[in-house]
Amino acid sequence: METKTTVTQGVPVRAGKKRRNQLPAAIVVLLGIIIVAVILGGKSPGLAISWVIGIGFGVVLQKSRFCFAAAFRDPFLTGSTSLAKAVIIAVAIASLGFGAVQYAAVSGGGNPPGFISPVGLHTAIGAILFGIGMVIAGGCASGTLMRVGEGFTMQWLVLVFFVIGTLWGTHDYAFWKAVFFDRAPQVHLPSALGWPLSFILQFLVLGALYILADKWGNRQRN
Amino acid sequence: MAEYRLDCFGEACPVPLLKAQKKLADLKVGDLLIVEVDHSCAIKNVPEWARKEGHNVEIEEIGDGEWEIYIQKTK
Repeated sequence: METKTTVTQGVPVRAGKKRRNQLPAAIVVLLGIIIVAVILGGKSPGLAISWVIGIGFGVVLQKSRFCFAAAFRDPFLTGSTSLAKAVIIAVAIASLGFGAVQYAAVSGGGNPPGFISPVGLHTAIGAILFGIGMVIAGGCASGTLMRVGEGFTMQWLVLVFFVIGTLWGTHDYAFWKAVFFDRAPQVHLPSALGWPLSFILQFLVLGALYILADKWGNRQRN
Repeated sequence: MAEYRLDCFGEACPVPLLKAQKKLADLKVGDLLIVEVDHSCAIKNVPEWARKEGHNVEIEEIGDGEWEIYIQKTK
């Protein structure tokens, strides 16, 4: 953590408003989560696991103030790259995990599991549109959901259009798939380059991005 | 030493940060800027930016999900 600087004396720090004790609500919610987990577990263990992992993700996202929108926006807006570096580290860790799962599956003679999405110009166009949207909306998909839960009312409005947009996208998916996705190549690096080479390439690129982000963050400090 | 309040209630990230940057540029050295926010993202990126710039920063949670960020301009 950063060192806490003290504002010089004479600064009138206003006494906080009387805050409600949130502990009773927390206990009720926790009990509710456990009851739902037990009910879901009775139907299918997978559902209960998804429920608990989903809530775990939410807690980590909220407590860490992790924000994908800020990770991509702040390097340009404020020169801060701490979140960008965090995303690079997260991608690196995820690559190891996905790599292990895919390696196990492919070694067994199967196809690599997970989403191997076709990549092309549509990826770049979609990324730009999503980037504009998330900066205006004040958060990416996960960040918006987290803030809806936090009670930030502006983002409730975002959620409404988030749902509308998702439904619309699903409605027209067949068109986009036929026009763009089916014509673009699906690249699975380990299948194309072999496991050692793709592994080295992946981490070289991530490492280079990390060093770049670190340099950019320090550069702005002067 | 003057004190300025900046009302950013209901503003999503990164608007509080941009407003604070703009406002702080108009202040004199030693002046205090109080940024009022209710977007949790702002209590991370506003102090981070202000500390990086070398200003004195403190955060106070004045209510549930409402914060005041105190920034004293030092240069």
